[in-house]
Amino acid sequence: MIEAEAELKALMLRGLGGDAGAHKAFLTAVSGKLRAFLRPRLRTAPEDAEDLLQEVLIAIHTRRDTYDASYPVTAWIYAIARYRLIDHWRRRGRRGEHIPVEDAHELFTAAEDEAADAKRDVKKLLDRLPQKQRDCIIRVKLEGMSVSDTARCLAITESDVKISTHRGMKTLMRLMGEAEA
Amino acid sequence: MKTDDLIEALARGSEAPKALVWPRLAFALIVGLLIAVGLVLTFFGMRPDIGAARMMVLMKAGFAALGAGVVLPLLLQLAKPGRGPGWRIAAIGGFALLCVGAVAVALMGGDPSTRFEAWTGGAFPWCIVLIPLLATPTAALLGWLVRDLAPTRLAMTGAALGAVSGGVGAMAYAMYCPTDSAAFVVTWYAVAIALCAVIGAVAGSRLLRW
Repeated sequence: MIEAEAELKALMLRGLGGDAGAHKAFLTAVSGKLRAFLRPRLRTAPEDAEDLLQEVLIAIHTRRDTYDASYPVTAWIYAIARYRLIDHWRRRGRRGEHIPVEDAHELFTAAEDEAADAKRDVKKLLDRLPQKQRDCIIRVKLEGMSVSDTARCLAITESDVKISTHRGMKTLMRLMGEAEA
Repeated sequence: MKTDDLIEALARGSEAPKALVWPRLAFALIVGLLIAVGLVLTFFGMRPDIGAARMMVLMKAGFAALGAGVVLPLLLQLAKPGRGPGWRIAAIGGFALLCVGAVAVALMGGDPSTRFEAWTGGAFPWCIVLIPLLATPTAALLGWLVRDLAPTRLAMTGAALGAVSGGVGAMAYAMYCPTDSAAFVVTWYAVAIALCAVIGAVAGSRLLRW
């Protein structure tokens, strides 16, 4: 939620400043979140979900001058999406379910939960590796440390680091395959 | 059209349009007031003793302007997507308390035998009908602005819009209003403005859709 806010806000402000690339990245990021938000709420009419998504994107685009940088951009997006969804239900002549007024994280946490799950899964698998392989992978692959720094840090040779990383990765792949199946 | 193509087209699109909030707001408030004043002069006429009662008229108009001014921050806040009302509601609550206090003080200071009449004006308070009518031009002009700001909570936005318009309508009405008792003015002008807020909430939830 906080990450999404910082990232989207930066893109939004650059887009407002005239950076078309940032604006496109902003709309793309938002459309992913919106799709995940709208689909389950329009389960009975999935073809409407994409139309409504496009309506929200157009509203976000054409009304973007109503965004004030001193307020969270996620709340601004959520308010527009919520309004458009309610408006859609109203036009269809049904009241639909209740959508809370201030619940922007409804829109911005779903995808991040998945990312958090993935992180936890990787950690669980790493715990099953031998100590040396785990240390090497964490430093080289996750923290981005160089091979020579890792070698110095763990007091082993550079080739040992390379081999341990390689073996560890192979084992991880195999474990992941097992987990999938 | 595929969503990716839409995003591509939007990103290539022109600059964001500027809503020009402040000039349009000033325009709505000033023109709305002028039209209401024109309506008062045309249909009711200015009160005959306007020369002697100038101070009273100004004070009543000032009170009405204060009522509009206290709600204006809430209207501007609600008019844009995703903003909570925050302290702006408290400002209105404070103003309402001030009104109650002022009425109480004014009535306590008066002669008990005429107290009730000072409060009710002794007749039907026409201002609660006329102020909403005089508020209509301002409400229409403000609605034209607010719809462009994409309000997402229409009833609340409409209520704030109605109250601001009611304050402007009451400013014009003060030129005609023959009653000068402070308790009367504070009570019935505030009731009229509150009534405008209720009408605004009902009308706004339909007319402010965008």
